[in-house]
Amino acid sequence: MTRHTMLFLGYELRKLFANPVWPLFGIMQPVLYLVFFAPLLRSTVPGGKMTDVLAMFTPGSMMMIALFGSMFAGFGMINETRNGMLERLAVSQAWRPAIILGRLVKDVIVLVLQAILVIGIAALMGLRIGLPEMLLVLLLMAATGLFAASLSYGLALTLRDENGMSQLVQFFAMPLTLIAGLFLPVSLGPQWLQTLAKFNPLYYAVEAGRSLFRGDLSAETIPVAFALFAALTALTLVWSVRSLRNLAG
Amino acid sequence: MIIEAHDLRKTFHAKRGRGKKEEVEAVRGIDLQVERGEVFAVLGPNGAGKTTTVRMLATFTLPTSGSARVAGFDVAREAAKVRENIGYVSQAGGVDDTAPGIESLLLAARISGMSRRQAQARADELLAAFSLTEIANRPAKTLSGGQKRRFAIAVGLVNAPPLIFLDEPTTGLDPQNRANLWDEVRKLREQGTSVLLTTHYLDEADALCDRLVIVDHGRIVARGTPEELKKEVAGDVVTLRLEDTDGARQLLDAQPYVKEVRAEPGVVRAYLDDGEHGLMHMLRTLEENGLGIRSVSLERATLDDVFLKHTGRSLRDAA
Ligand SMILES: Nc1ncnc2c1ncn2[C@@H]1O[C@H](COP(=O)(O)OP(=O)(O)O)[C@@H](O)[C@H]1O
Ligand SMILES: [Mg+2]
Repeated sequence: MTRHTMLFLGYELRKLFANPVWPLFGIMQPVLYLVFFAPLLRSTVPGGKMTDVLAMFTPGSMMMIALFGSMFAGFGMINETRNGMLERLAVSQAWRPAIILGRLVKDVIVLVLQAILVIGIAALMGLRIGLPEMLLVLLLMAATGLFAASLSYGLALTLRDENGMSQLVQFFAMPLTLIAGLFLPVSLGPQWLQTLAKFNPLYYAVEAGRSLFRGDLSAETIPVAFALFAALTALTLVWSVRSLRNLAG
Repeated sequence: MIIEAHDLRKTFHAKRGRGKKEEVEAVRGIDLQVERGEVFAVLGPNGAGKTTTVRMLATFTLPTSGSARVAGFDVAREAAKVRENIGYVSQAGGVDDTAPGIESLLLAARISGMSRRQAQARADELLAAFSLTEIANRPAKTLSGGQKRRFAIAVGLVNAPPLIFLDEPTTGLDPQNRANLWDEVRKLREQGTSVLLTTHYLDEADALCDRLVIVDHGRIVARGTPEELKKEVAGDVVTLRLEDTDGARQLLDAQPYVKEVRAEPGVVRAYLDDGEHGLMHMLRTLEENGLGIRSVSLERATLDDVFLKHTGRSLRDAA
């Protein structure tokens, strides 16, 4: 089982290294936000220090890649439902969950590497973060990405339609990110927005990220976020592996 | 017996917009017996249920009812065992377009349990056998249809299975590549691999298989060797083009040397065992009765005539 997951992972990584520029495009967006948008926020934090701005803003831009990048992870699989590849793998000796797990692990590796780059750039701009906090932030991102990516594979296998899938992802991603307070904490907003945000799992991830960047390891959003994303990932993963079966009609 | 299927059936519940469901009886009771080492063809028009049948035998789709044993194992209850013993090349091929063909081959080899070294050796062997060595490292999307198809078959053979399923292996290939692929299938038979292939080409089934079944609307309408089936209709067929098809049919039906007559507007087809002799009689009889013909041709009966006999349609028109 692990062997097959490793085989699929290796296969995906080889493909990635043959063409490693695409993930770099993926981090352009958060980096642009850091460089051009974060300075505008200095007036929103007390004291207006860049370090504080970055501690508030970097987690949001990281969750942006975790969510947007990973929500499209399954896109390539739609073609594989048509070109016979998944059909062939389904009747091979492969352990079926490995077909998805291998890709998921690849997605998470890419995500963590992207995140390290983003943190690196934020550090150059003046962000300060301790090593344990940073590792926890990366872990939190991995959990968020794992959830979004397995949701994406499930959607790809269920919809099997590029157009439908991109519409659906856009449709959900936009309100989810707005209501999570990705760029500015929802605590700055009205009560109804804060109440609404409590129903958005992404809100906990962003808030937990902010606490970690502030060095506040005792914030209760941290365990909540981890527990929430562990549960959500388990659900979506089971769903996406089951969706493989639907291919047979 | 490498394949034994009893009364296989598959009903799909297809969505038809706005929540409505439509039942599609894709396969309606198929019995198959394929011997070890045989090349067995499933011939039929588009939509006959060929792919669905193969998918059930290859453990991709679960039958709605009926049972099948492939390589000695039950397709529903022992799917994992079946998978160890088959290769499956779908109509679409299933080679990853976004990577070099060698990668698909190596991955498939590793999945079947080989070590890295064994996988490399097996891949080299197959690349050589299918003349793919030179293009092994090119992204699959840059390959021609024929090259891609050869890769797909190489991937299907990676675990040296005793049985391989080829679903419409030559559809979309040019005549040259088709001929090459036929040679590959013949080589497989020489090596003792059993092959179950589907096709909607008459000449392909005729040229390639030891035995075949003809399927239409999810049912088997005829089975046997190509020779047996053709003999069933008659050795030869005379095709006459003329005005008075009804008159000609009645007249020819009464002739003792004519086995069967079929008429379509403007065309009459007469089946007879000894065409060379029969043709002379036939032309004389038609002339004596004042039936003028526009053209006449004499051919060996084909599997299309078999299909026509059993379904009332020509396979060429059936799709
Ligand atoms: N997954 C599916 N869902 C619904 N209908 C299907 C599905 N697969 C095949 N069919 C239908 O079953 C019938 C037989 O299809 P198929 O087995 O692909 O035929 P063939 O391979 O002989 O062309 C067709 O009418 C087709 O539309
Ligand atoms: Mg088909």
